[in-house]
Amino acid sequence: MQGLSSIGSQLIDLCSALLLLTCFAIVAQRRLSACVDLFALQSAVLFVTAALVAYLTKSHHIYIAAGLTGVIKVIVIPRVLKKVIDHLNVKRELVMHVNVPTGLLICGGLVMLAFFIAQPIIPLGPLLTRDSLAIALAIVLIGLFTMIARQQAVSQLVGFLVLENGLFLGATAATYGMPLVVELGVFFDVLIATLIAGIYTNRLQDAFNSVDTDQLTILKE
Amino acid sequence: MIALVVVVVAPLLAGGLSLVVHRSAWLHRINLASMGALVTAEVVITQIVLRTGSVTALDQLVYLDALSTFILFIIGVVGLACSLYMRSYMDEQVARGMIAPGRLNLFFFLFHMFLLAMVVATIANSVGVQWVAIEATTLATTFLIAFWRRRESLEAGWKYLILCSVGISLALFGVVLLYYSSLHVLSDAGQGLNVTELLPVADRLNPQVLKLAFIFILVGYGTKVGLVPMHSWLPDAYTEAPAPVVAMLAGVLEVVAAYAILRVRMIVDHAVPFAFAGGLLALLGVASLVTAAFFILIQHNYKRLFAYSSIEHMGIAMIGFGVGGPLGTFGGLFHLLNHALAKSMAFFASGNIHRRFHTVEIGKVQGVAMAQPWTAMALMISGLALSALPPFSAFASELQIVTALASQGVPGMELAGTTGMVTVALSDQFSRIALVSVFLVSAVLSFGGLLYRITGMVWGIPPEGIVRGEIWTLGHLPIILLAGALVGLSMFLPQPLQQLLIQATTILVVQ
Repeated sequence: MQGLSSIGSQLIDLCSALLLLTCFAIVAQRRLSACVDLFALQSAVLFVTAALVAYLTKSHHIYIAAGLTGVIKVIVIPRVLKKVIDHLNVKRELVMHVNVPTGLLICGGLVMLAFFIAQPIIPLGPLLTRDSLAIALAIVLIGLFTMIARQQAVSQLVGFLVLENGLFLGATAATYGMPLVVELGVFFDVLIATLIAGIYTNRLQDAFNSVDTDQLTILKE
Repeated sequence: MIALVVVVVAPLLAGGLSLVVHRSAWLHRINLASMGALVTAEVVITQIVLRTGSVTALDQLVYLDALSTFILFIIGVVGLACSLYMRSYMDEQVARGMIAPGRLNLFFFLFHMFLLAMVVATIANSVGVQWVAIEATTLATTFLIAFWRRRESLEAGWKYLILCSVGISLALFGVVLLYYSSLHVLSDAGQGLNVTELLPVADRLNPQVLKLAFIFILVGYGTKVGLVPMHSWLPDAYTEAPAPVVAMLAGVLEVVAAYAILRVRMIVDHAVPFAFAGGLLALLGVASLVTAAFFILIQHNYKRLFAYSSIEHMGIAMIGFGVGGPLGTFGGLFHLLNHALAKSMAFFASGNIHRRFHTVEIGKVQGVAMAQPWTAMALMISGLALSALPPFSAFASELQIVTALASQGVPGMELAGTTGMVTVALSDQFSRIALVSVFLVSAVLSFGGLLYRITGMVWGIPPEGIVRGEIWTLGHLPIILLAGALVGLSMFLPQPLQQLLIQATTILVVQ
């Protein structure tokens, strides 16, 4: 049992590291559809992580959450986003507020910041998934950064979804999943939010002939 | 516990019916019926809570105490006023072609879902369920804000969706951390987010985790309250949304989000020194007050004017909660109510003006007193109430907050001095005087700015082509009632309401 749990712990660390890696890949990627693919990949890794935690801790409700991740975040949401992208005339990020190398450096800094913030509270967590909390916070911060650094509505949406993935990792790893009713509610909200943002993106495209959010400057003081 | 079921089922049922009904008259009837049921149920709940202190029901899912009942009361009052106002307002929008007749039922559906989400956020026992409901309010209102489908409203809606979703996600991280802290203390993990479970053991939760959780939750829900610096979506959304929606956003949603912060703060205060949460709240409050006062001065759009005034008043309430103590907390809660009443009235009045003048520019609106004498009076009353002038109840609550601030000071100040992280060279008394002067100067600035703009709109001669004379509609009824309430509450606080406020204050003040 000791051996299994130590291997399990290492596997979970590996998965968390992979999740972080996909974040960096998203930050470095300019093509919108590739960003969506990377998001699907990240969600698939998240699905494996959650299933692993569920198996090792024998808590059945995490299986449900993992299954929902598989269905909603790996299959449904990427499909919706692909549909949205098909409708656009510009399918890549043209001008970024922060160029890719600088963006990657900043993300590296954010990871350090996340570990710095989480350091005092890490020892309180369950042994199996201790380090994942800091990584989860890092993913949240990188998601936030992506939303600020990008201009296309779709990449901002991907940033939001990455942020949600970080939250899910945090909830699963640090606390072995939140109560089921909360978990279900969160999934529902994320799904609806994506659909709404997708519809919005289409309307922006129709109204402004672009989804570059830098053009949203009619309203100001 | 039929009343509890009614408050949830009424908006749910009304929302479902709105999807299948298409006739405008019936949509309004359903709306009014469900609001009537909601308000009646709330009266019953208030009586029960006042008698028993708190109610837990439906397998621990629902928890109501004086604080949440008070919030529920605000939802009911403003919601009913909005429903009455919508009767003429929405029909006119359809008649003018701003809203396609076929989309009217969608508007009502979203409106009911918005209401439902706010009710659930208020009565939920679990902080997690509360989070889900507050995110649901974002989703329901996004399309309501952009219901006119112009380019401007799309822009406002997108900003609102993105900023609030991100803010709310940060709050979720805070909720996760709260749950994380409870795992070591509670045996039954499935209940670990319930307020009823967390409160009794709150002093044993890990303070480090709680501090981090509170910061995330404050930033997250603070975005929905519209506290500076997370406020940038608010003026845009308030300008673009239809008047009844803005009244709900300003009157109720801000209050519900503030309530969510207060709920978590109750737990945090048991484990962490009071100065931590109080200091943070007061800091954001002062920042909001000062920033809003400045923007009120330079405003040339009357809807934005009232939007910034919302930021100002939520800042004032936050200062009240931050300073804490019985006086500050009572003032803060009372201020939430007064602001909800005055602000929904202000937006009803500006909705009427917008319908007549077809512009939101202050410079292009003149002579409302001639064109719409009663609306002009409503605008003046709400403006005076929002400036917290004496015959109105906001004066009383603002006075309570200033008194609390002057006598107790902001709790974070001494903390910063003693920890040595920030050297506070000023004496305690001096910092108090400085804070009170900042408060008063900002209040005077926004008072001057608000009244200057409003009087400019009210007097003068209406531009060519504007119809003169008030056109009476059912929408004037809520305006008159709200005006009566604003004046009445300052002289006389009805017994049940006063009891509710005092009990809610006791809950919030940790001995």
